[in-house]
Amino acid sequence: MRFVALLRKELRESLPWLLLAGLLLLAVGTLALRAHVPNTGVRYWQYRRGMAPGETIDTWRLLSPAKLDLPALWLSFIAPGLGLVLGVRHFWVPLFTRTWAFLLHRSVSRLTILGAKLGAMVLAFVLSVGIIWTGLYWYACRPGLFPIAEPVYVLVNGWFYIVMGMVVYLGTALSALSTTRWYTSRIFGLVFALLATLMLLSLWRPVWLLAMTALVLAMLLAQTTSAFLSREF
Amino acid sequence: MAEIVLETKGLTKYYGAQPALDHLDLRIPRGCICGFLGRNGAGKTTAIKMMLGLLEPTAGSASLLGCDSTDLTPAIRQRIGYVTEGHRLFRWMTIARLEKFQQAFFPEQWDEKFFADMIEYFELSKKQKIKHLSNGQRAQVSLALALAPNPELLIMDDPTLGLDAVIRRQFLEGMIELITRQGRTVLFSSHILADVERVADRIVVIDKGVLRADCSLEQFRASVRKVVLYFDDSVPADVELEGLLHCRRSERQLELTLVGVDEAEVAAWAKRAGTERYDFVEMNLEDQFIEFTAPPHRRRLFQWEEARP
Repeated sequence: MRFVALLRKELRESLPWLLLAGLLLLAVGTLALRAHVPNTGVRYWQYRRGMAPGETIDTWRLLSPAKLDLPALWLSFIAPGLGLVLGVRHFWVPLFTRTWAFLLHRSVSRLTILGAKLGAMVLAFVLSVGIIWTGLYWYACRPGLFPIAEPVYVLVNGWFYIVMGMVVYLGTALSALSTTRWYTSRIFGLVFALLATLMLLSLWRPVWLLAMTALVLAMLLAQTTSAFLSREF
Repeated sequence: MAEIVLETKGLTKYYGAQPALDHLDLRIPRGCICGFLGRNGAGKTTAIKMMLGLLEPTAGSASLLGCDSTDLTPAIRQRIGYVTEGHRLFRWMTIARLEKFQQAFFPEQWDEKFFADMIEYFELSKKQKIKHLSNGQRAQVSLALALAPNPELLIMDDPTLGLDAVIRRQFLEGMIELITRQGRTVLFSSHILADVERVADRIVVIDKGVLRADCSLEQFRASVRKVVLYFDDSVPADVELEGLLHCRRSERQLELTLVGVDEAEVAAWAKRAGTERYDFVEMNLEDQFIEFTAPPHRRRLFQWEEARP
């Protein structure tokens, strides 16, 4: 009950940003698919019926599986952006509004408070961009709409961007919790997360990608937990 | 002997080389209403935050309800009410939502009727959002939230800061409501002496992080005194009185602020200094506090000049 109360509070505080991110991805995805349906889907059925004299068709485009390329590109910015905003909302804003003392004097452990924040972050990503991204993929794979179904790696790619958003969130949290004297060293957590994201984006072997993502997440999670449990508020 | 619910032993906090609190030793028994006094920056908030485990002591320790402050368990926190400095609450919440949030952490002990009564007493509506409340109203909500779970120990950090006289009176009456419930212990910091005078039965004074007084209000009132001595000739250069806080001179008058000095000692010293004329001046608590905590040897910036003929 206590954990749920904390979780609900965190989710409610992030709600406007979740709606914004979700709606933005939905809008871009819908527009991209609508643009592809006449260009690819409709023409494919015309092609099957037989072309009119003088009519041409770009067969490469017809067979291209890249209907979700544009939304995926947007998602690669939306997810880290959402991670940054959620990190600021969960860890930086209470410093400015000075509500940490009120929150920390709850009859729960600090670990529970952190757990609620992290849980709210994961739920936020899943409920806003995660579900919409999976929905867009499902729609693009509907039989009869396009000649070629979207390959699974398109879906996985999108979820990889969402995980990158979580990496940025943890980096922002780490920077907010830092008590070092200089601002340059305070933003180390965020800089590390951004550099790690770029590094992960450049990997292409799935095994390496999985291993390195797990490593980066584990490092940031351990550092954030340690900083939160020992920090003075 | 009453059970000690709040104890600090040599509690010390340094920020870099700067001491914020220096060896604070306190023992607050159950049922005590303790006013924690000090000027701005004296170390009151630092001490309270260390007691609640929000700050790590540089040295020493604090324990609340028998539990070390660095390791306060959720069960112990449940028995402690805390009103934060500035009444910082979640601005987007309504009072009703905040009540629900707070209630989740005190499922068995939350007094719903008491909370509703307090909100009604303060003429607030549960539908109001925190961000639309004034400072004073936020203070009232904070107090209601802290009192509704029936805490054994209530710690309040400058709860009347920034409140006008009427709201302050209402707030203190709310506090008295708690005090009338038996067995409650209250520690509240303030620099408004009238508030302390109304409710506290014990005062702790800290100045620049150092404990300067820990006694009953009556004891403090009886200890800090001001005496004016009149001389026919020039005033003596030195004042050899133990417990001298401040000494102000004019041409034929000597004004002394003393702590813990009885009348016989003053009379004996006056005689040695060459006068038998002196008066004890009535001081209110605020004057006593100011004299007690003001730095010694203050220079008087402005001096009244007698009109010359």
